[in-house]
Amino acid sequence: MRSITLATLLVLASAVPAVASAQATGDAAAGKLKAYTCTGCHGITGYRNVYPHYHVPRISGQNYQYLVTALNAYKTGQRKHPTMAAQAQSLTEQDIADIASYLAAPTSP
Amino acid sequence: MIKRAHFLALGLLAAAVLSASTAHASGSAGRGMELSKPCQACHGADGNGVGDPQYPIIAGQYADYLAHSLKGYRSGERVNVIMQGFASTLSDQDIADLSAYFASQKSKLGDLSKR
Repeated sequence: MRSITLATLLVLASAVPAVASAQATGDAAAGKLKAYTCTGCHGITGYRNVYPHYHVPRISGQNYQYLVTALNAYKTGQRKHPTMAAQAQSLTEQDIADIASYLAAPTSP
Repeated sequence: MIKRAHFLALGLLAAAVLSASTAHASGSAGRGMELSKPCQACHGADGNGVGDPQYPIIAGQYADYLAHSLKGYRSGERVNVIMQGFASTLSDQDIADLSAYFASQKSKLGDLSKR
């Protein structure tokens, strides 16, 4: 009986870190390097998409989970934008987590 | 006679271009605030969210990008069940006003050059 409890606990204990790491944000330092390409459009204040004509959104300081959702939506083609689709398709799940962590991290004053 | 007609046509054209450009650009932040009640449960009163990272911060975002997004949800080009429901009820003017309101609010959003 006691050994069953112990086994259950062990299984639970191994599951907890797995869940935690799945929810954890990526590596912001790695994301900084991977986000270099993003600065070509998102790093220029006032930069506009050509057609249709609108400002490229501000993404620095945006929420982590939203950024992950947005990049995955571009990757799968659910969200349509030729440049963003091409960029997102080149990213792995880890790349997306890292980039989103970098963008969502508080900026140093 | 022909000259006068041309002049008139030019005038009309100029007026049309002017009104088209202002209709595109102008939104009333005040009216946008009044319309923003349904947005607040997820995006917060001023667009800075309610602490749930699945919803984007829309405060301080570019107004024309917000309008582009809302129009995408309205047409169904951009897929999100919740946003589609709200956006389908909005007129172009509503979208311009809401976008003007949230764009005018302070937030930590910025361009990557500031990071």
